[in-house]
Amino acid sequence: MDEWYGYTGRIARVNLSDGKISIEEVKAEYLDLVLGGVGLASLILFMEVDPRIDAFAPSNKLVFAVGPLTGTMVPGSSRAVVVGRSPLTLGWGESHLGGFWGVELKRAGFDALVIEGESDNPVYIYVDDGRVELRDASSLWGLKTSETEESIASELGDSEVKVACIGPAGEKLVRYASIVSGERVAGRTGLGAVMGSKRLKAVAVRGRYQVKVRWPDKLRSMVARLYPSIMSFPTIQILSSYGTNGEMDSFYQYGDVPIKNFTEGEWDGIAKIEGQYMVEHYLKRHRACFGCPVGCWKEARVEDPRYGLIEGRMPEYESAASLGSLLLNDDPASLIYMEKICNDYGFDVISAGVTIAWAIECFEKGLIKIEDTGGLQLRWGDPLLIVDLLKLIGERVGFGYMLGEGCRLASMKIGRGSEKYAMHVKGLEVPMHDPRAFNGMGLQYATSNRGACHLQGLVMRIEQGERVPDLKIYRRFYRFEVEGKGWLVATMQDWHHVLESLGLCKFVQIPPGHVAGFYLLATGIEKRLPDLQKCGERISNIQRLFNVVAGVTASDDTLPDRFLSEPLKEGGAKGHIVELKPMLDEYYKCRGWDDRGMPTREKLEELSMLGIVEARLKSLGVNIWS
Amino acid sequence: MSDSIFSEEELRFEIIRVMKTLYDKGLVSALGGNVSARIPGSDSIWITPSGVFKGDLKPDDLIKISLDGDVIEGFMRPSVEWPMHTAIYRVRPDINAVIHAHNPITTGLALAGIELKPITVEAVVTLRSVPVVPFAYPGTDELAKLVAERVKGVRALILQNHGVVALGYNLVEAEAIVETLEEVAITQLVAILVSGGREPPTIPEKDRELVSRLYLR
Repeated sequence: MDEWYGYTGRIARVNLSDGKISIEEVKAEYLDLVLGGVGLASLILFMEVDPRIDAFAPSNKLVFAVGPLTGTMVPGSSRAVVVGRSPLTLGWGESHLGGFWGVELKRAGFDALVIEGESDNPVYIYVDDGRVELRDASSLWGLKTSETEESIASELGDSEVKVACIGPAGEKLVRYASIVSGERVAGRTGLGAVMGSKRLKAVAVRGRYQVKVRWPDKLRSMVARLYPSIMSFPTIQILSSYGTNGEMDSFYQYGDVPIKNFTEGEWDGIAKIEGQYMVEHYLKRHRACFGCPVGCWKEARVEDPRYGLIEGRMPEYESAASLGSLLLNDDPASLIYMEKICNDYGFDVISAGVTIAWAIECFEKGLIKIEDTGGLQLRWGDPLLIVDLLKLIGERVGFGYMLGEGCRLASMKIGRGSEKYAMHVKGLEVPMHDPRAFNGMGLQYATSNRGACHLQGLVMRIEQGERVPDLKIYRRFYRFEVEGKGWLVATMQDWHHVLESLGLCKFVQIPPGHVAGFYLLATGIEKRLPDLQKCGERISNIQRLFNVVAGVTASDDTLPDRFLSEPLKEGGAKGHIVELKPMLDEYYKCRGWDDRGMPTREKLEELSMLGIVEARLKSLGVNIWS
Repeated sequence: MSDSIFSEEELRFEIIRVMKTLYDKGLVSALGGNVSARIPGSDSIWITPSGVFKGDLKPDDLIKISLDGDVIEGFMRPSVEWPMHTAIYRVRPDINAVIHAHNPITTGLALAGIELKPITVEAVVTLRSVPVVPFAYPGTDELAKLVAERVKGVRALILQNHGVVALGYNLVEAEAIVETLEEVAITQLVAILVSGGREPPTIPEKDRELVSRLYLR
């Protein structure tokens, strides 16, 4: 490629074992197959990492990537992604980051950063306008994330540097440790622990290049004139005013908000932890990621005799539910404090909340005993207890060590039938949308490559009545309906891979038909909407193949038994269970996979991927079709 | 059949001109309404974009699509009503231009359950019969199907709760139909209001006979 637009065309590769740093040109054929962002990162990981290795082995890699639209004037173009083998799912690992870090990486001249090997001593990577260097991080080891960011900015004498770092939880290999950058968090699947295992404390980035697009005037004109329609989506105003937690009340009406480890359907505490109440009582200021007209990010301030003065990120919906309703905690001030603990220590709020909920339920049932907890009496609705448990997880001490394993591994270690109450799919703790309220979400959880994921598809939006004619979603899909959900979930998963490949946020909700235009104007490369969808489908298949080699099988495409056999007795989803089997059959069929959930040769041929996949599987010594 | 008066390039300017005229007259709104024209001698159309302010479109904003909805040229998203436009072109080979406008008075009368009457010569000669299409969600196949079922032998339709559709051999004709619809609707509304709700007198049956004999409906 003579000149790159949208893409920078460059990848930085850092080997932490020998300190070697190289700059490579991006393979144009990769971008043609899967675009940038999560597509590029997924293909690099699939081609370079044996999925069967231990997540903490030096041969595991982390691939950070941004999309061709990241850092452009397209609304919501702030996103970056990181992938690697996950210590939590023991298969595909992937997490996304908003804010400003990804834009900075792009402005520093890179589409991706590949990190391999393992350092003997703590280090951090400093990327500065095309240069990459390794720096000593011994003095940073042990610091919390906010302290780390401040220390690096101070050391570099640059308050504008953007730092993505781990906290003590990542250093201590909490299996759901996150990567934090200025209150934005790549939270899921524990890739912060992979950074910890490599003794990589942070990736600090400073970029001053202008992101180059092919037709800037046309792109600016298109963006400017689309705002009236983009801002017309009904949820946008709620997200702007109250953040994602502004939707809790609406979710509750559907019976979607998990209560007491997904065992109950009604709870009065919702009124004190939902977004409008939180914003009206604790808002410090509104924030927004780069280029975002929505601004669902809020900062909170609370002064409470139990916790002192707390300033930090306002809990989003997932935090408010996983540390609130899921644990019967209706103390809003405590939620702000807990959010800060999770972000400062650097671990995922969803996995933490679900693992704690598992522990409390098992303690209540006598499956976890006081000897297991180090003397702690576990009970519902006790914010001080939750605060203590979160700190133990962050420090990885006492009962926090076990909780830091995540609910799947912890329940396997405890045994005694506690596995039944561990709410996870493929090891990833279930997020805060009860799939009994939306059948399609159940299928989405069961089939998402990184495990129970609410964001790879967000099918509940469609099941709430949204239509997406551009993706041929013309008719209304009712939430308890079964027929058509296999096609719907596959379609939406593929589409969300496209957004994540381009560097776009899903909450800005740009109609798909316009996205192809943005891509053309930014990159100068013509890919029509069906071409982009095909890229999304390839990404689904690549990640699936990674999981297949890692040992994930169709038997893992399932849900916790509670969702399949225990209807709620009250609330908006009363009496419903997820009818998974027929949806799953339809899903495999729509995907062109066999009944073991394996991508077929024919499908890969259709996607123009058979050659590259066969070569890779051969190099791994694997034959999945035998 | 096709309109060979305009080149493809001129057709795009013509679409922009029509959209601007209708916007200035209040017949399409900031975000509502769409226009398409069949490309002479082909199975492709140029259509206005979705979600963009309609009062100031540029030729670059238009999108060329096939009758299956595949984008052939342009970077914007085609109007979400493309299935309705293409459904019309499929069943009406004589039609080369389709306008979906948001005529407020025509749509308002339909909402009030009042049919357009043969109250002026234009209503009789230009509009003739104007079927009302039951409500279906915009942009859906269902709406396209309902329109296609009712579009044979007519020059205009009213979409319940939504607006109007006008057809033409070329854009000028379709534009004239949209304006005539609103003119007749306003005249009828004024007559009803000023007379205190009385049914306005229509052109006598014998004078409408010629039109009835000349046309199918």
